[in-house]
Amino acid sequence: MTTGRPDGGSARDRGRVRVHVRVRDWLERHALGLIALLTAVVLGVMLYLPVGVVFAEAVFVDGRLSLAHFREVLTDPFYVGVLSQVFTDPLAIGSHLAALGGWILAGFPSFPLGLFGFTAYQAALSTVASLALGLPAAYVLANYEFRGRRTIRSLTILPFVLPGIMVAVGFYAMFGQAGTLNAILGVVGLGPYPFIERNPLAIVIVAHAFYNAPLVARITVAAWESVDVRALETARSLGASPRRAFVDVVVPQLLPAVTTGALLTFIFTFMTFPIVLALGGLQLATVEVWVYARIQRLAFAEAATLAILETIVSLALTYAYLRYESAQAGMSRAAAPPPRERLFPDLRTALEPWRLAIVGYGVLTLVVFVGPMVSMVIGGFTDGGGFTLRHYEFLIRRQTEGASYQTLPWPAIRNSLLFGVATLFVAMPMGVVISVVTTRSGREGGHHSGRWATIIDTLAMVPLAVSGIVFGIGLLRGLVFGIPLIGGWRLQITGVVAIVAAHAVAAYPFVTRNVSPLLADLDPALVESARSLGASRYRALLDVELPLVASGIVAGAAFTFAISIGEFSSTVILASGGETYTMPVAVERYLGRRNGPAIAMGTVLLAITGLSFVVVDRVGGRFERD
Amino acid sequence: MTDLTLEGVSKVYGETTALRGIDLAVEDGEFFTLVGPSGCGKTTTLRTIAGFEEPTAGSVRFDDREMTGVPPEDRDVGVVFQNYALFPHMTVAENVGYGLRFRDPPAGTTREERILELLELVDLAGMGERRPSQLSGGQRQRVSLARALAPEPGLLLLDEPMSALDARLRETLRRQVKRIQSELEITTIYVTHDQEEALAISDRVAVVRAGTVEQVGTPKEIYRRPATRFVAEFIGDNNVFEGEVRTRSSDELRVRVSGREFDIVPADSLAEAGTGLESGDRLAFCVRPEALTPTVETNRLSVTVETSEFLGETVRVHGRWNGTPIVLRLAEPPDADELTVGFAPDGAHVVELESDARGND
Amino acid sequence: MNRRTLIRTLSGGTAGIALAGCLTQDDDENGNGNGNDTGNGEENGTDGENDTGNGEENETDGDDETTEPNLEGTLRIATYTSMVDGEEAAGTWLKDAFEEEYPDAEIDWTVPESGVNHYIQQANQGVDIDADLFFGLNVDDLVLVDGRADESLFRSVDRDALEHVDRIRDDPAVEFDDPDDRVLPYDTGYISLVYDENEVDDPETFDALTEEEYEGTLITQNAQQSDPGQAFLLWTIDAYGEDGYLDYWEELLDNDVRIIDDWSSAYSAYENEERPMVVSYSTDQVYTNRFDGDMSRSQIGFLEEQGYANPEGMAVFEDSEQVDLANAFVDFVLSNEAQAEIAVRNVQFPAVADEHVDLDESYAEYAHEPPEAVSLTYDQLSGNLDGWLDDWGQLVASR
Repeated sequence: MTTGRPDGGSARDRGRVRVHVRVRDWLERHALGLIALLTAVVLGVMLYLPVGVVFAEAVFVDGRLSLAHFREVLTDPFYVGVLSQVFTDPLAIGSHLAALGGWILAGFPSFPLGLFGFTAYQAALSTVASLALGLPAAYVLANYEFRGRRTIRSLTILPFVLPGIMVAVGFYAMFGQAGTLNAILGVVGLGPYPFIERNPLAIVIVAHAFYNAPLVARITVAAWESVDVRALETARSLGASPRRAFVDVVVPQLLPAVTTGALLTFIFTFMTFPIVLALGGLQLATVEVWVYARIQRLAFAEAATLAILETIVSLALTYAYLRYESAQAGMSRAAAPPPRERLFPDLRTALEPWRLAIVGYGVLTLVVFVGPMVSMVIGGFTDGGGFTLRHYEFLIRRQTEGASYQTLPWPAIRNSLLFGVATLFVAMPMGVVISVVTTRSGREGGHHSGRWATIIDTLAMVPLAVSGIVFGIGLLRGLVFGIPLIGGWRLQITGVVAIVAAHAVAAYPFVTRNVSPLLADLDPALVESARSLGASRYRALLDVELPLVASGIVAGAAFTFAISIGEFSSTVILASGGETYTMPVAVERYLGRRNGPAIAMGTVLLAITGLSFVVVDRVGGRFERD
Repeated sequence: MTDLTLEGVSKVYGETTALRGIDLAVEDGEFFTLVGPSGCGKTTTLRTIAGFEEPTAGSVRFDDREMTGVPPEDRDVGVVFQNYALFPHMTVAENVGYGLRFRDPPAGTTREERILELLELVDLAGMGERRPSQLSGGQRQRVSLARALAPEPGLLLLDEPMSALDARLRETLRRQVKRIQSELEITTIYVTHDQEEALAISDRVAVVRAGTVEQVGTPKEIYRRPATRFVAEFIGDNNVFEGEVRTRSSDELRVRVSGREFDIVPADSLAEAGTGLESGDRLAFCVRPEALTPTVETNRLSVTVETSEFLGETVRVHGRWNGTPIVLRLAEPPDADELTVGFAPDGAHVVELESDARGND
Repeated sequence: MNRRTLIRTLSGGTAGIALAGCLTQDDDENGNGNGNDTGNGEENGTDGENDTGNGEENETDGDDETTEPNLEGTLRIATYTSMVDGEEAAGTWLKDAFEEEYPDAEIDWTVPESGVNHYIQQANQGVDIDADLFFGLNVDDLVLVDGRADESLFRSVDRDALEHVDRIRDDPAVEFDDPDDRVLPYDTGYISLVYDENEVDDPETFDALTEEEYEGTLITQNAQQSDPGQAFLLWTIDAYGEDGYLDYWEELLDNDVRIIDDWSSAYSAYENEERPMVVSYSTDQVYTNRFDGDMSRSQIGFLEEQGYANPEGMAVFEDSEQVDLANAFVDFVLSNEAQAEIAVRNVQFPAVADEHVDLDESYAEYAHEPPEAVSLTYDQLSGNLDGWLDDWGQLVASR
């Protein structure tokens, strides 16, 4: 071409290209470091700072460091039950042992658990229930092929996004004396049974399982899909029965995921708040209920003290688990997932006892998971007089006629989706980088760096281990009101970026926990090969590791999206006064003297999220190898 | 290509020391093998060369270029791992071509041509579209080799590449590796615990033990003139006797072992052992099985036969003399429980007495 | 989306910076003329020119009584969610009607998540209060404010500036008893029982609730976090005294009362026939009628012929620079027309005497008023409420 620029120009262009390439090179080389740094900054500003602001209240009394608040709580039988005696007089070991002996001799009579004891007790029961309901789902989803398997897998975490109040509404509508289940039983002449009244604790635990069994299932499915089937075949060829091969080969490969699910469930239900009180009543109060009550009365020191103790319990468990996990890691595994069987290949097979058991389990999941959701949805189409569309008319009217300062359905939907996608972009790199940092340094080097990696990994779980209420109040006091700096300046962080960052902070632990176990199981030689071939650490991660842990990444992405969509407490604080409200916020704001409009919005939330999960999984599924 | 120098390289993990001052000088184009029992530090040495580990002290130099702090991707090395470490989600061709994403193929060839060229080199022409999971172990290892070689690295590092393969395949692949290496004249560091493999394939061998280099030499030197008792026993079969010098003349020693006296002519090995041995000194010497035969009339000893293994050409006999384990190579299986054998005075080789165990690993 | 909302969306109200983070410098109040700008920096970005005008006026505010009241600019009113987001929300009507009457004024509703606590914390942290008026204050809120805020949050009512203030009826149901006279009521409601007459009879007395006939029949709410729940607790304290209420609750708990988190869940449980009685509002039938419900399941029970009154009030923030406008709004709220609208839209009872409000006859048909209204006064609650709630909570939770 003759119209080209003079030579000088193109030389400059070449120079520019070279600079460009050098910058790109530099960025790529330092990408992991930069992301890690950004992650640290985001966590510092969006998590440690706000939480620290509130936690500081517990340890400073009149400006001086003091443990007086802790002493108060730990010596109060109301909080810690019989342990209060131990904390009151920790050195009287003899009398404590005597008391213990007396308790054993008396035949283990029940003893006062205190608020903390009861909270842990119900969390333990909830964890067991979640495992019991979640693991069979993982088994079926990972091992059988049937129509809609992928869709069901996508929808498993749908319960995760439901606001607590909607779960309560759904459970009353499903299990209440006039609820759906009793209506169905009534058709065959049974009932009505007072399911909730008879044992409120049981129904609280089922509700916890409603939230958390899907979590267990989703994490376990991801691990199951990366089980190395050749190891299974080897075991079979060595003479192991199918059952034996399962126990010896598959179970150890699933255990980290199952334990992760159990740990997350325990921590969640240990911090549970709205569900317990909405279904179980104040008699089943947990520590978090008290934290909330304290915050309501602006008694921050007491609230923070309780919240710190909660966090200590959760983090101690996390640390113990992560030590265990790192001891398990290193089973090098090249994913060759087992082929899936058809669930019902023909009628005869369908009637085998095992398949019938699966069908039975399916019915149970219909009752526990689908039941409350469907009953809630139905509630949105009824009023005192029967079928109605008035609640949806309300939504449409609000959208078309509502004033700009009112909460409108469409902006809520749009914001939820936008924040969800934005959160994916922030939380995925954060979670993956933390996985890489902790699994890599855990693997390299000796005991010391291993312990450090576990500590970092544990600290990375802080978002789950900190009371959501304390986090919320910290955001308000720290970021919305602003942190006073020298010279009368204030650092304020609100609005969209703050909401997305807060969502990312809440969500990245799920990415880490989904990805870490898989990453730790990868053969380190894969990365080393890539690097000796010229790939930077970042490229090796992108080209080699991530594709191999795709199932964990996709699961992490699904959780991230779900957390973002369902997040309420920090969103509502950061969105206050703005137009950055989301669907759960709209649900809460539409609650009135009848639940109809809120339920209609809750239904919209369910529908939109369900649809997006299917899309997320479909898009993610392209990166997974089937 | 590249020559490689390691000077005083040591590596400490927390409380365990993996390397205690490794010194090596590998010449351009040389096939150099690190051999030693497992846990001796040979793999750590290789990983230090590759840049996967930074040495705690000492220096690694490629052509006098200091490599400390240089990340693996900038070292221009090709690494082949024991378990192949192929990328399971890429095809064979993608695996081989991976390094060419970061380094240009040799002048005059395109990326695709280079991939085909290498697949041909390792006899896998036409397999490019397969997945690693569709290949046999030997094929996978060849893909791994082709992948390491594709970007024309200055240094090829092989970490126990054969140990996952069966014996016959191992030998075939060994020859293939050797052929390719000499064709390309690429400096190669080979790590193995198999002394036979080390002797068969290498230009030079370093015997590594407990984080230090025990001896460096050609396979012949290592076999014929082991410097230490450890090397003597680790490389090939050997009979080691430990005793006390009774008398010493200019070229002959009379040594007393378990109440029996032997005459040995240690040749140059006496100097290597670095001792001015006097009567009354303790000493160890070794006699290879092929030098300990019934036909030699000097230094005779009677061996109690315990087991014998038929190896085809020869028979390996394990026995005992005065409690010392003895290994013999005979043409025919022994027909008695007792066997009297002897060795020529110059068939013995004096080695460094075992200093006490150096490491606990 | 217009530019204004775009900026808001991006920066959460911080003008012009498309970043979430922002640095603002606190205004030291000795400002000259334009010192006010930084004071409501958040508002300036969105409201444009209006602000600067009244900034000048405020210099003399309150000093000179002969000055014409300044009735232009933006009035920021903090309230609770259903005031603006409910069906037929009173807030939308108030805004439209008020702005029509005061064309130079604009109402900016804001709904802080933590209600009045939001402002207590702002005051204690030395952050500028970002509202002029709080709309929806209960007596216990006032007690909390005075117990926790380091300095006075609200200013005393300027009765001279309010034309309609004398219309407020003389009735404990709308009484705040505030020693500093900071709050004026705008409506009130009564906590009562709502029951299913097909299942139970009206218990009529507190004692009846502890009898076997009513075992396992009552749902109430957690007094620590629910308004009707707290009102019910205070009602029992009124009935049995400070020393007797815990014993009464022991008996209630023995008789299997259910204490559910919040009103919505509790009512949901009631609707699904978990139990035939729930603590709720005496206006329940208005909703039952509106939603074509079953009246037999919406019966109102006034225990001891009483209802516990929960008046809702409004107060002007001490630091507000729109006092004139705020007073105009307060006066407007007490007007005949507004009282009627609020009562109907909020489904509450007016704060003014009957002759000052024209309510539809049919309103009384479904909105029931108890023969006697009871409520604990500011003085009774002050210094005691925290302890009562605590003792009650511990009693319930340790069972």
